[in-house]
Amino acid sequence: MRKITRRDFLRGSAAAVAGTMMFPGLASADVDTSEQVEVIMYVVSDRPAGQDVVDENLNQLLLEKLNCTLKINWIGWAEYQNKYPLLFSSGETFDIAYCATWLNFASLAQKGAFLSLDDMWPECAPDNFALQSETALAEATIDGHYYCVPTLLSTYTALGPSYRTDITGEDWDGVMETWEDLEEYCDAVLANNQAIEPIDIYSVGPELMQIYMQSLGYMWVSKSYPWLWFDPTEENPTVKSLYQFDEIKDFLEMTARFNEKGFWPKSALSDTDSMKPQNGKAALRIHNIDTYASFYATYGEDVGQSWAYSNFVADNSHLPFTQDCMVISSTSKNPERALAIINLITTDQEAFDALMYGVEGVTYELNDLGQVRILDADLYAIGALWAARSDELNRDSDGYPEDYTTMKEEIEASIVEGVNSEKFAPFVFDTSSIETELSTCVNVQQQYWWPLELGYTDKDSGLEQYQSMMEIAGIDTVIAEAQSQIDAYIASL
Amino acid sequence: MKGFVKEFKKNKALFAMLAPAVIFVFIMQYLPMSGLVLAFKNYRYDLGVFGSEWYGFTNFRFLFASGTGWLITRNTILYNLLNLVTSQALAVIIAIFITELNGKYFKKFTQSVIFLPYFISWIIVGVFVYNIFNYETGLMNTILGYFGVDPVNVYSMPGIWPIIICCFNAWKWCGYNSVIYIAAIMGIDSGIYEAASIDGATMFQRVKSITLPSISPTLITMILLQVGRILRGDFEMFYQIVGNNGQLYNATDVIDTYVFRSLLQNANLGMTAAASLYQSVLCFVIIMVVNAIVKHIDADYALF
Repeated sequence: MRKITRRDFLRGSAAAVAGTMMFPGLASADVDTSEQVEVIMYVVSDRPAGQDVVDENLNQLLLEKLNCTLKINWIGWAEYQNKYPLLFSSGETFDIAYCATWLNFASLAQKGAFLSLDDMWPECAPDNFALQSETALAEATIDGHYYCVPTLLSTYTALGPSYRTDITGEDWDGVMETWEDLEEYCDAVLANNQAIEPIDIYSVGPELMQIYMQSLGYMWVSKSYPWLWFDPTEENPTVKSLYQFDEIKDFLEMTARFNEKGFWPKSALSDTDSMKPQNGKAALRIHNIDTYASFYATYGEDVGQSWAYSNFVADNSHLPFTQDCMVISSTSKNPERALAIINLITTDQEAFDALMYGVEGVTYELNDLGQVRILDADLYAIGALWAARSDELNRDSDGYPEDYTTMKEEIEASIVEGVNSEKFAPFVFDTSSIETELSTCVNVQQQYWWPLELGYTDKDSGLEQYQSMMEIAGIDTVIAEAQSQIDAYIASL
Repeated sequence: MKGFVKEFKKNKALFAMLAPAVIFVFIMQYLPMSGLVLAFKNYRYDLGVFGSEWYGFTNFRFLFASGTGWLITRNTILYNLLNLVTSQALAVIIAIFITELNGKYFKKFTQSVIFLPYFISWIIVGVFVYNIFNYETGLMNTILGYFGVDPVNVYSMPGIWPIIICCFNAWKWCGYNSVIYIAAIMGIDSGIYEAASIDGATMFQRVKSITLPSISPTLITMILLQVGRILRGDFEMFYQIVGNNGQLYNATDVIDTYVFRSLLQNANLGMTAAASLYQSVLCFVIIMVVNAIVKHIDADYALF
């Protein structure tokens, strides 16, 4: 059971203060670097062709600063689902691993895969520790101990349509703020281009419901299980399942209409083409603002497409900082040096650039604005330790739209710490006691909700069937557990 | 033991030849079986497989908790039976057809064409299926449209999918399986056929009275080997052809796809081990029963 208490917060802050006071501005002041060691790190991604050049440059820098080298091992995208959990069960000796909420950080930590960082983090990575927000420290805490170093890059729950503006003809008024606007836009796209699917849906499933619930100001219990929601503005929120919300009927009526009109294909869930917007086959994708920026930079003017973005989320908050994080394996031989490396790459621009972008002039170059331009994406695009990014050091890509920065600033400005959904940002749903029920609910969600959400099944009888299957799968147990954890979380604030 | 020592001294060379296979099987097949305890453990990474606490049958609950356990077990068995019958029967027919052909080049060409699908991965086959059956731009609906027939949304018709899956499975495997039967047919003494021809037997009579009885040991062995895998769904085939189409799951879900989907978000080693053990135990029971039946009918054809 994960409990975040006031004491955790205070201990975190106190240690942060102590860390900065004891070693002001001195990276890894408390690490013995007399012996040269090789630190081994695992990341999830495919190894770029030009990695050798990047490694050589980075290791030279690490030898100078920390008397160590870093050996990066890669787990490819094709095998990570099998291989990543095995990394910890095989007993292999290594030091750092990239981890994330979507790689089951909390569950792995509970099952003893990582070293506790309670003492080492403030000692060996003081600069990084000092920069962590209270929210991030709380998120890194599982069962009362720190188990990861979260990213210092803020990301948001903001979600909305990235959409083409060059294919609507004259019929559309250019406003994209509500669901009615979205429908009008899709109508205009269809009227002008029979061959383009207005909304991009493919086999990974739709995200329409998530954004709909968020547009109403609701918040998920866990992003991985988007069928449990609550109202974060309530003092003591009640956790409910989708079918218990009255608004869901309106939503299903809307998507049934969308399906009827042909806003997405009737067999979209078997379509494995994940590049439809990029290839001009779909007009709109619902995703985050970074997707918009990359569409704009990569598929914008060069290929004759115009992209715009709108945030539909009513109440913005930070995504868990643990959605990109770094962990120290319980088998690590050099945990202190590993933390010293983490400290360096997250707080030193030179080291960060060497890790993420490679060698200036060889793999990347910078423009006047400090934006980065990849010289040959086939050789080396970007490093895979995404958790090393921070608001401070991360560089935008050359060609990112101007409103990318302003929109992000607006989102950041709208967030008030400890209020509404941000109040629940550090909450982590501990699923260890309900894994059976959860696995069956996950299956029901995909089997019965996805077709319902896309209007493939009848909205009334489909919803009833979904509800009864969820009840058989044990959703009441899951709701009760989520409710008790939310209550405990509120009580701990 | 004494007999074994005597045997060993007598046939040292034979034992030496056997040793690598025995060691290999022991290390790769028998040692890992100890890992099956994982199905009864609440696994923790820091405590390891044997150090983790016992968990009883909790890991098995997810298979049956939602009432799908029976459905997916039934689907797995029925699909395998259907695929077994169609692909083996087709393979036998193809083998007979090819051996009866006369033109050397035409024979080789036909065999190659039938064999080819075996090399196409299920991922590619999945793309074929989508491009044939998708509602808007699929081949089938385009042809139907050309003849003025209303398009059909195959992806909302679960009942039709067992047939589609079975057809693609047979298409992919019959060429490969037929090679084994061709070899068996080639092994039949050609003198028997000549004698039958002289006595005036037609081609069908020759096939019925000579070929089929001669290859039946091969056929039975092939079937027994397949039955041993009857609880194992061909994950790749089902996953690639059906994809994430929930509407079709009640007709297309097999144990492997269900386990994959349920545990994708929260990989639990104990629960996957439990599913695997469940399949293995059922396979074991089924193959013992089938082998016993075969033995009862004709002991020579039994596997063991």
